[in-house]
Amino acid sequence: MSDQVNQHATKRRTLPSAVGEPMVWLTGSALVLCLGMIAVLLVLVVSNGLRTFWPGDIDRMTLEGGEQVMGIRVAEDSEGRYLYRVGNRDIGQESFRWIDGEAIVEIEQPDDAVMLERESWGVWFGMPESISVLNDEGELHKVTDGSGETLDAFGEMHAAARIRRAQGEAMRKRELGKINRGIEAARLAISEAELGVDQRASASDRLGWVSWALVLASVVFAGLVWWVKRDAGVGIGAAGVRVGKMTRFGCAVVVIFGGIGLWVGGPWKTVGVTGETRDGVIAASAMEQERLQVEYERVLGEIRAGEDVDSRERFVVVEPTTGRFAPIAQTRGDEPMMLSQVVRLVQANRLGFFGKVKVFGGRWWEFVSTGPREANTEGGVYPVIVGTVLLTLLLTVFVTPLGVIAALYLREYAVQGFGTSVIRVAVNNLAGVPSIVYGVFGLGFFCYTVGRYVDTGPVAGSALSSGVWWGLFGLAVVTAIGSFGCSLWGKPDPGHPPSVVHRVLSKLSWLGWGVTVVLLVMVVARTPYFMGFFGARAAEGSPTFGARGLLWASLTLALLTLPVVIVATEEAIAAVPNSMREGSFGCGASKWQTIRRIVLPGAMPGILTGAILAMARGAGEVAPLMLVGAVKLNMDLPVSTTAPFLHADRSFMHLGFHIYDLGFQSPDSQAARPMVWTTTLLFLLIVFALNLAAIMIRAKLRGRTTGAAI
Amino acid sequence: MSDVENKERSAVQAVVAGGMGGDAVHYDVIDAIRRGEGVEPTVHGEMAEVDSVIQTDDFKLWYGVAQAIHGISMDVPRGAVTALIGPSGCGKSTLLRSINRMNDLVDGVRVEGGITLNGAAVYEPTVDVIELRKRLGMVFQKPNPFPMSIFENVVYPLRIDGERRKSVLQDACERSLKSAAIWDEVKDRLKESALGLSGGQQQRLCIARAVVADPEVLLLDEPCSALDPVATIRIEELITEISERYTVLIVTHNMQQAARVSDYTAFMYLGRLVEYGPTGAMFQNPKLIETAHYVSGRFG
Ligand SMILES: Nc1ncnc2c1ncn2[C@@H]1O[C@H](COP(=O)(O)OP(=O)(O)OP(=O)(O)O)[C@@H](O)[C@H]1O
Ligand SMILES: [Mg+2]
Repeated sequence: MSDQVNQHATKRRTLPSAVGEPMVWLTGSALVLCLGMIAVLLVLVVSNGLRTFWPGDIDRMTLEGGEQVMGIRVAEDSEGRYLYRVGNRDIGQESFRWIDGEAIVEIEQPDDAVMLERESWGVWFGMPESISVLNDEGELHKVTDGSGETLDAFGEMHAAARIRRAQGEAMRKRELGKINRGIEAARLAISEAELGVDQRASASDRLGWVSWALVLASVVFAGLVWWVKRDAGVGIGAAGVRVGKMTRFGCAVVVIFGGIGLWVGGPWKTVGVTGETRDGVIAASAMEQERLQVEYERVLGEIRAGEDVDSRERFVVVEPTTGRFAPIAQTRGDEPMMLSQVVRLVQANRLGFFGKVKVFGGRWWEFVSTGPREANTEGGVYPVIVGTVLLTLLLTVFVTPLGVIAALYLREYAVQGFGTSVIRVAVNNLAGVPSIVYGVFGLGFFCYTVGRYVDTGPVAGSALSSGVWWGLFGLAVVTAIGSFGCSLWGKPDPGHPPSVVHRVLSKLSWLGWGVTVVLLVMVVARTPYFMGFFGARAAEGSPTFGARGLLWASLTLALLTLPVVIVATEEAIAAVPNSMREGSFGCGASKWQTIRRIVLPGAMPGILTGAILAMARGAGEVAPLMLVGAVKLNMDLPVSTTAPFLHADRSFMHLGFHIYDLGFQSPDSQAARPMVWTTTLLFLLIVFALNLAAIMIRAKLRGRTTGAAI
Repeated sequence: MSDVENKERSAVQAVVAGGMGGDAVHYDVIDAIRRGEGVEPTVHGEMAEVDSVIQTDDFKLWYGVAQAIHGISMDVPRGAVTALIGPSGCGKSTLLRSINRMNDLVDGVRVEGGITLNGAAVYEPTVDVIELRKRLGMVFQKPNPFPMSIFENVVYPLRIDGERRKSVLQDACERSLKSAAIWDEVKDRLKESALGLSGGQQQRLCIARAVVADPEVLLLDEPCSALDPVATIRIEELITEISERYTVLIVTHNMQQAARVSDYTAFMYLGRLVEYGPTGAMFQNPKLIETAHYVSGRFG
């Protein structure tokens, strides 16, 4: 017996493929490779990004020719050459310089050497010499002399000067800004009044009183019918379910469309701007303009006075190569800079570890809380952060409901078949369309078509005559009611497969809906009753929505990320067990009630996953933004404390575009390089934070909707 | 085929079966059904006298091209428990789901013949299927509580009717949880997720959900198949208790259960009704040998 067993055992071989180890190693190393590359990326970004703001020691070197150079070493190459950041761009030198190690005769790190971060022209290396004050005759008087004394006095005086300057800037921005807006509004009011006279439609273009009364009557009648028939065909055995539904739907359409018609075509609107009122408006606005102009001068005078005080305090910092001091401006090399032009003074060689940490922290704070300077290579990225975060939030807000509704239809309502498969494939393919294509589409459709329409109404000449318009409007009502009827009678009787008539009717209903949509688009796009919301400004060549801006950018990105949401939502909906749906239907819930109360809550974590993925994808997208709204510099944030608070029409700054701009468009690419790393790090952190927030919300929701298993 | 003929025939069969030994029994009716021939169901005389709430009239149903129900005519008596028994795949669930038109949710279902609820045809375009389902509470084979709190689960049918008043909801919740014999177990944790309940508790919760809106008929599809004996007993007691107020139609594979809880029993085979009568008669004194053997577990 045992022989037999053994014989049997020897007959069977073990193939190499049955041995598990090679696959373990293979799959394991693939994973390690992936993780390793991600780790390298992170390490690179984090280490480079963090290094930027760490204050290095300031070297003063004497070179072979006797030339003296001061700077901070940032890199070295294999041939023993060192890259120094030497700053002092305004006296005509490159701000970075390769120095041959062998050419250096002597290196010292003087205690008093300082690096100035300035409002403009980058950093300045040198030795502080004095703080001087300009008197009325234009002569400089030294307040302090020698580096020690100067550095001691610097702290307090500098702080005061900075506060003064900040106040001046705030006044410029806030008060002058407010006055400017007032002047602009008055000017617009004038040009609007001028435009208004010839733009208003004539009385005959609108519904006259008679037709208006007829429409009103039909609206009231439809409302009454709806009320009377609200229970028609409801209940078991009740006759005329379809007729009842049809009646109610028809009444609703008449009421809604009639209401719109009444609003659009109200005869009281025929009152155009008369010459008199126009002249009144113009006169009032002109007066307002004048008053504001005076106010403007006054405030400006105040600001100037502050700036005058500011400009008297001068700081003399001498660089070693030529012995020149940091100038007030590149073109005025004979005047030392103002104290208030110094953003930060770093006496790097005297700083201990904690001192350096403080500078490091200060620089980070400045980075995230102030706007950029110097073609984005200096200063902060506050508006860039705001732009990025707003864009991301807006796109998520747009894409999630849209995608969820689309996926709901596709999965819950649509009859599964060839059509839905085609749509699914198409949606998946949309995800593969190069993102720049969306940018082109966004620019062409959103900015130039929709945006222009919002600004100025239908393109000149394309507006329909009022008779045709009302005809189309009525036709849309008829096709809407008709297609609803077709879809009602196109539904097969319960328990019976659809007959030919049913099939034809339901096809007709689709066709009808299509026609209705086309008609509605035409009715809206070519209405003679809409002149745009911002016509006056657009007429002056400065469109409001008809240009690149936050709204269009986020809509474009919403479109771009739509497939992600649709696919994720569809999966989440499909994962809701059918027994849940059956249970709900069994309780007498309608389809929509089941979806709202059972399917959507159950799918919510999955839907949020989709939203998170969309957000992550959208946050990292740059190419389309270049076309539809991201700009190199716009210090006007898209959010503000003045109405309407969210200025979705404004162009904005975006971290992704900012990185590109720093890396490739910067006039001083060496100076920009560290900022590229830092901005990248910040970008990663922000995307990470946004995702984390979303994931936390999802976790909270998940905890609420599901309980412990049985 | 009349009752008398039937009885005679089965008597003969029984004799034959007895004579030839258990193994070689000939099941005439079932063989005929297997061959695809139409067979008149054996309906006990008592069934003619009952007041029926649901009637099916030569009801046929196809899933696509496959016919699952081959013309069933039966009356479900009002205010009683009727059990549907039969081997797996014979169309019990299908019949049950046809009554509240849950089969509408399946693509490609076609029906012929009719079902009436209180005389009103169910398969008519004029019927509001939502209204219909509100009158027929349903409990499924697998407990399917919704992923919400116990309270929300129970009052779900009221919520979808737009009931918002807290007091009404609370009263209804307590009443139906009590009638489903689960109130004492969950009264302190109404706000907790229903998914945290045991399988038996979940099933009783589903029963509570099915009765909360006072349906006319309760359709139970193997409500105990996922439960242990103790939970089963509890639910059986519950069925007996609520049958005083509702008409109950229950599908079960458990013959003892059918015998214990039901007043009437219908035996189905391959989409056809085979024998239908009062439970006592069906179990002790069936007219067909098939029924006798099926309920005693000798065939099926
Ligand atoms: N959705 C469906 N699509 C196609 N065929 C189905 C579907 N549901 C059931 N059937 C078929 O209809 C027949 C009856 O099924 P049904 O579920 O009613 O049986 P049952 O008597 O409830 O069985 P069980 O006791 O196992 O639950 C079976 O042959 C089954 O395969
Ligand atoms: Mg079943």
